[in-house]
Amino acid sequence: MKFLLKQMENIKPLFMPGGKLEKLYPLFEAQDTFLFTPAETTRHAPHIRGALDTKRMMITVVIALIPPFLFGMFNAGQQYHYVNQIPDMGWLDHLWRGAGIVLPIVLVSYVVGGTLEVLFSIIRRHDINEGFLVTGLLFPLTLPPTIPLWQVAAGIAFGVVIGKEIFGGTGFNVLNPALTARAFLFFAYPNEISGDGIWSVVKDPENVVEGFTGATPLGAAAVAPRGVNIVEYLSEQGFEWWTMAVGLTGGSIGETAFFACLIGAVILIVSGVGSWRIMAGCVIGLFIGSTLLNRLPAETYSSFTQLPFHYHLVYGGFAFGAVYMATDPVSAAATAKGKWIYGVLIGILVIIIRVANPAFPGGVMLAILFMNVMAPVIDHYVLQAHIRTRRKKAREESLTYVQTQER
Amino acid sequence: MNSIRIKKGLDIPLSGKPGPTIEPHVLPTDTVYVHPAEFEGVKAKLLVEEGAAVKRGSPLFFNKRLTALQFLSPGGGRVEEIKYGPRRVIERITIRLDSKEEVEAFKKYSPEQISGLDRAEIIGHLLATGFWAHIKQRPFSRIADPEATPKSIFVNAMNTAPFQPDFHVIVKGHEQAFQAGLDLLTRLTDGDVHLCLAAEAENSSKAVTEARNVQIHAFSGPHPSGNSSVHIHHVDPMDPHDKVWVVRAVDLITIGRLFLDGEYPADRTISFGGPGVRPEACRYYRLRHGAALAPLLEERLRDGEHRIVCGDGLSGAEVDAGGGLPFYGSGLTVIPEERERLFMGWFAPGWNRYSPSRTFLSTWFRRNHAWNLNSNLNGSRRAMVLTGLYDTVMPMNIMVDFLVRAVLAHDTDEAIALGILETDPEDFALCSFICPSKMELSHIIRQGLDEIEQEGI
Repeated sequence: MKFLLKQMENIKPLFMPGGKLEKLYPLFEAQDTFLFTPAETTRHAPHIRGALDTKRMMITVVIALIPPFLFGMFNAGQQYHYVNQIPDMGWLDHLWRGAGIVLPIVLVSYVVGGTLEVLFSIIRRHDINEGFLVTGLLFPLTLPPTIPLWQVAAGIAFGVVIGKEIFGGTGFNVLNPALTARAFLFFAYPNEISGDGIWSVVKDPENVVEGFTGATPLGAAAVAPRGVNIVEYLSEQGFEWWTMAVGLTGGSIGETAFFACLIGAVILIVSGVGSWRIMAGCVIGLFIGSTLLNRLPAETYSSFTQLPFHYHLVYGGFAFGAVYMATDPVSAAATAKGKWIYGVLIGILVIIIRVANPAFPGGVMLAILFMNVMAPVIDHYVLQAHIRTRRKKAREESLTYVQTQER
Repeated sequence: MNSIRIKKGLDIPLSGKPGPTIEPHVLPTDTVYVHPAEFEGVKAKLLVEEGAAVKRGSPLFFNKRLTALQFLSPGGGRVEEIKYGPRRVIERITIRLDSKEEVEAFKKYSPEQISGLDRAEIIGHLLATGFWAHIKQRPFSRIADPEATPKSIFVNAMNTAPFQPDFHVIVKGHEQAFQAGLDLLTRLTDGDVHLCLAAEAENSSKAVTEARNVQIHAFSGPHPSGNSSVHIHHVDPMDPHDKVWVVRAVDLITIGRLFLDGEYPADRTISFGGPGVRPEACRYYRLRHGAALAPLLEERLRDGEHRIVCGDGLSGAEVDAGGGLPFYGSGLTVIPEERERLFMGWFAPGWNRYSPSRTFLSTWFRRNHAWNLNSNLNGSRRAMVLTGLYDTVMPMNIMVDFLVRAVLAHDTDEAIALGILETDPEDFALCSFICPSKMELSHIIRQGLDEIEQEGI
């Protein structure tokens, strides 16, 4: 390690002002502080600082992303073997096959997005932000395993540049960059990211398993005929609650496994990195929305309205979105009360978009993006209310003080 | 007694807490120093030249902005050096002590006389002796305006930041002076004098818990429950146009002694601790006012490079180890300078590093460990992200993220509406301590307060 540290110190002058590679300083800084904690000491009080930095926060999110990432790989392989009728495959084979499908997507996302990130920090002269470690992994997990790699590259480029850098980089963006990237692909190339045919890799369309339609549970629920019992109908299609919750269905790479996201949620909440208020708000909103729709008369409305809360909870990208996307501190509401409002509204919007608009069965992305836009408005009103109560409370406290004096 | 429990906050487990014993003898020194630059808002105009003979209590310089406020020599001898800094700011006045020190005699008051003293006389005496500078005015935390009458006066006898002196230890032997100081304060306001102390003290002194003529408030809970802003917020909140004065209890002893003894107090008791100090040397010492620090630091520090902080490690100011004890120096905290670079520190399990965040193993398994924290920034400076983390250590009705944002945007109206005038930069030290983006929040708030002060409310 000493040797490495010495090497870094040796090449440092090249990147400092006046050095030959001065312009590449952000790249050096990122590499240097990745390898070794910075030597910088405090200049102002407080003279001592806690050990938490943004690198550690971001790496915690990446760690929390590992369960859905691993399961997504496994599931991509499992789906492949199932759909293409390749028998006698163990879980390790599934994982191996899945890695072959998923890793290139992740790699393209990191390489293309990372290059743009570095390019921008060199041009705009800001440090490379660790937030990209998360964005670069979040984005591929929202994509179907069949996505063409050039679209991954186009998507992440759009997300990094339009979603983040043109606003000034991390901390200044309005929308979640990973979701912006996905939304871009969703509207620019709908054939590759929506519909029934794209959720599992099909080798030979002539040789797929019998009865395979490729539909996701949400897609199936959206086209359920009016008046049927939705739970039984889905069960006939092979979508039991348990298979949904475990995640052995078609879908975006990271979104299918409810339990994997739950593990991630526990990591984020326990470590204090992700906001439990937002996650809880999303679930409460989802509950309110689904319960209200369940009250509608089943005969006159689509049977999708009758889908119970616990099905909505495990279906589609809800858990993934609520745990990893909605909690992005930059694009979410920042006040404690605002986080509740923001979360609950996301939950309700998810239900509305899912049920009311069959074109977007996965409403989570749109719900979160919409609430990203609304978050500053929510914060504004929470702040105004705070300012009003500050004045009032100050007066009340003076009064109680006078009263205790008199006693 | 009124008790108030503070829930939000954080007690930083810093090692080197000063033990409750006081070194019996005053540490010998042949030089004392005065640092005119440490008085914020004071424009010093000298009254002496190099080589002039001074007594303990002779005026050295006065404040051009408030000519009645003059500052005295803490020792008798000869002015050895007057050191100027950039833009002819007087940085330091060095006084070489005579072996037989001459002392300026002031008027002596008995405790009974003090409680009947007239406001103008007290203020006049404090201004003429420079001890007026111990009385700070909120908002803005400046030396109080003698023309103003404060709504109330808050005396702070707490020590929640690592490491402020334990007032119950310091007051030993000066009980009468402390009560005299409190009595003087009661003459300066039409409102109440509030004495804020810890609900539970290890070395409890009756002079504090049974102080007379004041309202006593017992605060409990983690730091910053000992900050005056928190006391004001919970006892008698301020409106933007209110003026509240704040005095540290340790400084009241000096003021009380001045009035009772009729001379510039010869010595003071300070706390001395921190991770840079040898464990056996972490306790209380008696020093002359302005005494050279070298005799204290010699032999008592651990090996390595250190930063000497006047005050606590959270809000104190770095001082020159070659200079003297600052006017406001009631305690010194020694923090090791640390520039060592750890390999992949962001990924390490975090057994050896302290953070209140639960992303470190130490938070889970080493709860009662006292940490040798150092001056390392522990990360790189990054853009501000509104995490809401700051609010977990702010026990006042203040939304820190938004207040800081308003200040950074120079939106002074919003900053005032969000309560900046109730605060002091020290209240944001904990927020800065836990900030993952390593923001200099105390510094930002200080600049915001300066900007509002210049513009006028």
